Amino acid sequence: MASALRSSILRHIRVPLSRTLIVNGSKTTAVRSMSSHGDDHLDKQEVINRVLDVVKSFPKVEPSKVTPDVHFQKDLGLDSLDNVEIVMAIEEEFKLEIPDKEADKIDSCSLAIEYVYNHPMAS
Amino acid sequence: MASTLKYVRVPPNSANLEEARKRVFEFFKTACRSIPTIMDIYILDDVAKPSQLRSTVSSEIRKNAHVTDPKVIDMLLIKATEELSNIVEHAKQRHHIIGQYVVGRQGLTHDLGIKDQGNSNFLNNFYSGNYF
Repeated sequence: MASALRSSILRHIRVPLSRTLIVNGSKTTAVRSMSSHGDDHLDKQEVINRVLDVVKSFPKVEPSKVTPDVHFQKDLGLDSLDNVEIVMAIEEEFKLEIPDKEADKIDSCSLAIEYVYNHPMAS
Repeated sequence: MASTLKYVRVPPNSANLEEARKRVFEFFKTACRSIPTIMDIYILDDVAKPSQLRSTVSSEIRKNAHVTDPKVIDMLLIKATEELSNIVEHAKQRHHIIGQYVVGRQGLTHDLGIKDQGNSNFLNNFYSGNYF
C-alpha cells in the first residue's frame, strides 16, 4: 500500500528523461555544458570601457579628451614615460604581462584596445 | 627579462642615449611589476594605491629627465636598481616607504597641510621673516 502510494507520488515528481535531452539540442553543448572555456574572450565593448577608464584615471590626462582612438603622445600631450606608465596600468587592469616589443608599439587607445581584445589571457 | 629582479647588475656601458633610454624604461617596468609585491610586504593597502606608487616612481625618474650623458644615466640606474632591490628584499621598513614615497608626494595631503592653514598674512610673514 505504502509502496504504491510512494511510486505514484514519485511518478509525478520525477522528470521524465526524454524532456531533458530535447533541451540540449546539439551534440556539442551536451559534452561540456558546464565548462566556461569557450568564453575566454572579453566582450569588445567591455574592453573598450575598461581601457578608457584606465586612461581617464591617469592623473595627467583630461578625461573629456579621451576617446577610443586618441593617441597618447600626440593628442593627450603625454611623453614616452607616461606612455609606458599607461601600458603598465593596462597590464595591471587586465592581469597581463605585455612583452617589450609589443608594448613599444602601443601608443594609442585603439592599439591598446586591439591588443587586449586579441590577447587570450586577458581577464 | 625586465620583469624579474633576480639580477642586480646593470651592464655598465650604454653606447648611446637611445640604449640608456631603453634601460630606463626597462627599469620602470620592473619597478611597476614589483609594486604588488611591495604592497604585500609593507601592507600598504590602506595607505596608497598602485597607481599612486606608479606615479611616484615616474616622477622620480622624471626628476632626472634633463640628463643627457649616458654614463650618468647608467649610474643613476644602478642607484635606482639598488634602491628597488632594498625595498623588495624587505631591507627597509614601512615608515621608510611611506615617508619617502607616499606622503612626500602629496599622497596624504590631509595629514600634512593642517599646520599651515594660513591664519593671516601678517603671521605668515612674521614666521617666514627674520629681520625684526
